[in-house]
Amino acid sequence: MGDMAENDEFYLRYYVGHKGKFGHEFLEFEFRPDGKLRYANNSNYKNDTMIRKEVFLTPSVLKECRRIVADSEIMKEDDNNWPEPDRVGRQELEIVMGNEHISFTTSKIGSLMDVQTSNDPEGLRIFYYLVQDLKCFVFSLISLHFKIKPI
Amino acid sequence: MANAEVEAVDFEPEEDDLMDEDVDASSSPRATIPKLKSAITGGSSSAPKKTKGRGFREEAAEADRNARMSARFDSLDSEGGPGPERSIEGWIVLVTGVNEETQEDDLHNDFGEFGEIKNLHLNLDRRTGFVKGYAFIEYESFEVAQRAISEKDGAEFLTQTIHVDWAFSRGPFKRRNARRRSPHGHRSRSPRRRF
Repeated sequence: MGDMAENDEFYLRYYVGHKGKFGHEFLEFEFRPDGKLRYANNSNYKNDTMIRKEVFLTPSVLKECRRIVADSEIMKEDDNNWPEPDRVGRQELEIVMGNEHISFTTSKIGSLMDVQTSNDPEGLRIFYYLVQDLKCFVFSLISLHFKIKPI
Repeated sequence: MANAEVEAVDFEPEEDDLMDEDVDASSSPRATIPKLKSAITGGSSSAPKKTKGRGFREEAAEADRNARMSARFDSLDSEGGPGPERSIEGWIVLVTGVNEETQEDDLHNDFGEFGEIKNLHLNLDRRTGFVKGYAFIEYESFEVAQRAISEKDGAEFLTQTIHVDWAFSRGPFKRRNARRRSPHGHRSRSPRRRF
């Protein structure tokens, strides 16, 4: 195929959560290099239970995920000047792509307002939209495969 | 920030010792730390990775994550082996290279000719509001989905070449450049910071 990027290693994990009066509530998903997608959602509100699902994806799906990441240019960013995780919550985005490995952390981002008033609005905006696009991708995969509402 | 770095430096020498000696000490939470990392990056690539981000300097968060991810995950009953995997109500097909101005109707017209489309996800780019570039289509039967794939993969759709393939697989796929793990993989797990 001549597409070197396709052969390169790819791993992606996203986490958002907080520890509060309903315990540890979080959403997390992970794309593994062998094609396994893992999805976990723990909301203790009103005794909701933990959802943990996993399914293998085809290389085509992984490639599309990778394309979304590459197009965002998130690998050029740095979390140095992003708001640090706090009591309200934390987000983690870890990606291995080619020979680069990022592991970014920041607080929850309520709206674009939080992005604009931060010390790195350009970088944080990229993160903000990428996370939404990835969630959207994963929610489609999980809801189509398992017929659950993944929110 | 500054604190985190100081902490990381303090931890490092001890961490190395712990990992060499306590690999089997399941009572030590720290002994489990390298596992996920090595599953991700270890063994499959010899080149050191350029790392970036605060996440590399937080021991507690990493232990947390390993605890979360070591739990049991549910999956649909699968026969395993190669080939596409059936989803709970049908067969899901991924379309990529989808024109950003595509409407759902365009896809219904083109992909509905093979059989009834049970579900269609045409997701939007959250920043631009245009189509992100992919779609998921659910068909009830394997045969219909298979026909959509063989007839539409590589076809032109709204002036762009699209690719059509199964979304789910029965098992892991092997990367063509996958290297074998080094025979001493168990002993030589590197501390994660070196990646």
